[in-house]
Amino acid sequence: MKRSLFIATSMSAALAGCGAIGSKLTGNQGFQSVLHTAEDLNLTLIGTHGLARQYSPNDISRDFPLNSFDTPSDALYTHLVREAFSPFRLLVDGLVDRPQRLSLAQLAAMPQTSQITRHDCVEGWSAIAQWSGVALRELLALAGPRTSAQYVVFHTFDRDANGVPYYESLELSQATHPQALLALRQNGARVTPDRGGPVRLKIPTQLGYKSAKWVRHIEVVASLDHLFAGKGGYWEDQGYEWYAGI
Amino acid sequence: MQTGKVVYRHSAVTRLTHWLFFIAFLALVSSGLQIFNAAPYLDASDKTDPARRVLQISAPADNVGTTTIFGHTITTTGWLGWTDDGMGGKTSRAFPGWLTIPSYQDLADGRRWHLFFAWIMVFCGIAYFIWGIGRHNLRELVLRPSEIPKLLPMQLYYLRLRKEPPLHGKYNPLQKLAYTLVLFVFAPLIVLSGLALSPSFDAAAPWVTAMFGGRQFARLWHFVLMIALCGFFAMHVMLVLTTGLRNHITSMITGRYKLGAHDGVGI
Repeated sequence: MKRSLFIATSMSAALAGCGAIGSKLTGNQGFQSVLHTAEDLNLTLIGTHGLARQYSPNDISRDFPLNSFDTPSDALYTHLVREAFSPFRLLVDGLVDRPQRLSLAQLAAMPQTSQITRHDCVEGWSAIAQWSGVALRELLALAGPRTSAQYVVFHTFDRDANGVPYYESLELSQATHPQALLALRQNGARVTPDRGGPVRLKIPTQLGYKSAKWVRHIEVVASLDHLFAGKGGYWEDQGYEWYAGI
Repeated sequence: MQTGKVVYRHSAVTRLTHWLFFIAFLALVSSGLQIFNAAPYLDASDKTDPARRVLQISAPADNVGTTTIFGHTITTTGWLGWTDDGMGGKTSRAFPGWLTIPSYQDLADGRRWHLFFAWIMVFCGIAYFIWGIGRHNLRELVLRPSEIPKLLPMQLYYLRLRKEPPLHGKYNPLQKLAYTLVLFVFAPLIVLSGLALSPSFDAAAPWVTAMFGGRQFARLWHFVLMIALCGFFAMHVMLVLTTGLRNHITSMITGRYKLGAHDGVGI
């Protein structure tokens, strides 16, 4: 009896020790860089090649979870909401031959594409919606990325409680994926301010945090190093993977 | 019987992959529970659908934790739902901090651990299979149809309803059943159901996600398979503890195993 008690105690202690050791190791820079090697492996082996599955209108989720910061309280954004976004201009610049300043009417006049795809959140949930708007590659073709261009950065109106701006980025090859969409409409209606309107990103082959809301400025760059903490996105700067395909 | 004779039982590859599997398994389960905590429910569907919810762990109020399985709710305060926050307090959290990596709520690092150790597991698995096939020692672990009649007598022996175990080789029929299930059913399925959660993998190989009944269903399968593997792990540890702990540990470190009364033929 004493022996089994000893065994049970030591097993519980070993299990409980796991979390403590894990938490300690997580804080170690060297161990973190070892853990980070998995991201390169995933990007290389899985990548972002295929097309996300298309669903039928019957599959659309009735309650698409609202899972973000509050609608931006930024002065310019609230002004735009009051003006029903008529003064809104989407800026496209950086390493491009023809920088753009596009109104919602101009974006709506471009060729529109539509997709009914599943949104997979990093937290684990999934929801299906119809998204319509301008294929990102159409917009990039309009602006003409230079040969030095490597990444496309999306700056938004959103900031966290500490005032840190929310941004995201894609490799040029991911940004020209046929389903990479600059969405103007969700389930047929204009994307509302609480859902990331007037313009949000929809990248169905990657986790939801890649699909930045409230996009105001698209910048084509050669490197992500000079932007904020240099990891290529707000969540990436917090430790999430830049490759959000898994 | 050759009781007491010392034989070389486990090759270096078996021993090395065994301990790497052990570390990776603990890391994967505890980081997996961390990831689960970010959305503490499981649906038998493709998209999230509360109407098809199988499991939900929640905290309906402060100091109250509940677990709902197939619509039946039980109070699990302290264990599930309202638990240890990993920082010395209690909070609304499905699995307690002492079971997760990191112990506090941290999805980003939980994912880093999980995706790294998943590769360790897969690489060890590949090495183990190639080695096992090359050395023919995988054969010793696979349950053959002719051994099915021996399963019941072996179970009766474990239940002390039978004096002697049925005649068997290096591994007994129940061990073989467990290893066969783990190596050829649970292990491949838990890898595939994990990959099915990846939106990029789903785009590249949609049949995998479809095979599990959709993304949320794959998440449910992934969880159920984890429970099954934990069951195997518990049984494995219990048997090691009760059938000569020192001999087993020594053999998994040095490879040398001292034969017992029932280790029989076919060494």
